[in-house]
Amino acid sequence: MSEYDAIVCGGGLAGLTLAYQLRREAPEASVAVIERTTRPLPEACHKVGESSVELSSHYFDQVLGLHDYLKAEHIEKNGLRFFCGNGRAPLHTRPEIGPSEFPVLPSYQLDRGKLETDLRGFVERAGVDLMEGRAVREITLGANGASHRVRLDDDRVLEGRWLLDASGRARLLSKKLDLKRPSTNRADAAWFRVRGRVRVGDLVPDEEKSWHARDVDDNRWQSTVHLMDTGYWVWLIPLSTGFTSVGVVADQKHHQFADYAREDKMRAWLAAHEPVLAAKIADVPFEDFRVMRDYSYLASRMIDAEARWACVGEAALFVDPLYSLGGDFLAMGCSYATRLVSDDLAGRLDLDVARELEATYLLLAEDAVRTLRDNGAIFPREKILGAKLWWDFYNYWSFMSAHFFQEIWREDAETLRAFREMGERYYALNTIAQRVLEGWADIPSAGNSAARSFVPLPMFPSVLANQHIALGTKRSPAETLAKMDADLQVGRELVTEVLAHALRDVGLAGAAELGRRVGLDAASDLVIDARAEFDGLPRRERVARMPDIGRDMERALGRKEGDAPLRDLLVLARGERSHAEPAPGERLRTGSHTGKAPALP
Amino acid sequence: MTREEIYTAIVEILADSFELDAASITPESTLYEELDLDSIDAVDIFVQMRDITGRRPDPEKAKEIRTVDELVQFAVDERAAAERGDPEPDVQMPS
Repeated sequence: MSEYDAIVCGGGLAGLTLAYQLRREAPEASVAVIERTTRPLPEACHKVGESSVELSSHYFDQVLGLHDYLKAEHIEKNGLRFFCGNGRAPLHTRPEIGPSEFPVLPSYQLDRGKLETDLRGFVERAGVDLMEGRAVREITLGANGASHRVRLDDDRVLEGRWLLDASGRARLLSKKLDLKRPSTNRADAAWFRVRGRVRVGDLVPDEEKSWHARDVDDNRWQSTVHLMDTGYWVWLIPLSTGFTSVGVVADQKHHQFADYAREDKMRAWLAAHEPVLAAKIADVPFEDFRVMRDYSYLASRMIDAEARWACVGEAALFVDPLYSLGGDFLAMGCSYATRLVSDDLAGRLDLDVARELEATYLLLAEDAVRTLRDNGAIFPREKILGAKLWWDFYNYWSFMSAHFFQEIWREDAETLRAFREMGERYYALNTIAQRVLEGWADIPSAGNSAARSFVPLPMFPSVLANQHIALGTKRSPAETLAKMDADLQVGRELVTEVLAHALRDVGLAGAAELGRRVGLDAASDLVIDARAEFDGLPRRERVARMPDIGRDMERALGRKEGDAPLRDLLVLARGERSHAEPAPGERLRTGSHTGKAPALP
Repeated sequence: MTREEIYTAIVEILADSFELDAASITPESTLYEELDLDSIDAVDIFVQMRDITGRRPDPEKAKEIRTVDELVQFAVDERAAAERGDPEPDVQMPS
């Protein structure tokens, strides 16, 4: 029998990064990884989840120290790029929202087969016992402080002080302990890889010179491209090994899984919804074809430091592929688990720290579901999508990303609690924001909106760009918390602006309905009345009185004369106040503006 | 694109972005006085003008521009520079 400090079940991305991080941060730890498959893994056609965003990139790049490797062997990503509007229209006529400059903080398009093959080499060199071609037959959790036992398919038994489940959707521990909880995000996905590069620019005729001219650095193709219309989005992701990953994600409310869940049906589905892309790849064979039905699920627990187990990656939970948050939850889970295992081995484990880390993780998962569920009606409408992206990115960079970049997970229980409480205030504001966006999307536009053919996301200069750049500056926990508090106030102004744009867009005919959907009385954190005071002023005077974020939103979403006065729209929006109750269980208070400032112990 | 077409495209950018009446804009209109724009507006104009010029502007030249007609002439010059394959100025990005 072999004994380890930690046994990692599953050597996919989560298991490999966790083992690698453990050996980096607790070099004395003995770590085993049990993985069913053997090298070499297929390039491109291995796993889905190729796109990384700021948080997960920071994890791979800095926390794991893989910056030089990633830069050399994978594609640097040019952010997220969205083409919305009518999916059947020529691509150059669809509104484009995406970076105009290469992002300051790096992110990557990862070839998962290549990455996981390379990571296996890295963990072996780091001293991990990597057991390839071996399956876990049985897990027995040790009671009362005894070691856990893992029996392999060759009947070997490993003993481990910690059991770390990274078995992906096999969810070994989650099934055993009944940890899975349903998600309200009901959606399905199907994806495939094609040989060669499907560049988004190849989907637009060369004659459309101004559309091509906009891409001054010829790096639009390095973005994760989203083609969106009602209830679905299609991704295009370039891989360093020369393939392109293509996937369809669709809300069950709008699209039947069976309509695209087979290769031939997928081609027909694309021809019906995204004919330009379908025609481009009509003669190109699919290198693989995978589907995932009802992919979203949550968990009641992800770590128990007393019983010494943790679930990381999809062995814990999965929210949604939009915004590529899967890697983020992987990064947070691995980092939290690493911290607790290290503390335990060093004899300084604090169970309150474990409880706070788990509560933070589960809160962020809930927040992500609130953000990513039920967006199908938003996707075709560029103004609502633009507003949503503005808020969602702001929210992501201000709390979740800052929390991770500043490595708050290394702090003590009291500090972690102060940050979790801050997270709850962000969550409450996000709940209001998503209600505004969802309500807006269900109401027809009054049709007086300015349309933009291209909206830079983020714009330079802008409050949003500042949030992105600020992640690169190291701050103390106290400074980070103070900044989050100040940023939350700006967040209230941002959501207020979203509401103002929504009211003007739905006009006098839709304002009452929007007010009912949002529940304006409950959303008392918004500063919409103050906003209405100067909304009708001429542009220059209005801009002078607006917060910077308000001006940014007008730059992004446009503004035309002739909208109904915000003051009148607000009267209508408040008209049916008896219906404006918050939905049960929704937390709407983000903390009073005049309430005591948060302080660290 | 002819100069006339460039002028029309620029007027459209100005009218759509800054709540201006297209009919009130003339080649002689001054950007910062008559049209009441500021430096952030100018940045946004140049990002939108990439559709016309296909390149980043030289900030030194961009700073000199005072009227709509100078903006049009700038776009004409930039297009010619792009045609010749002149290198773009080395623009310092915020960081």
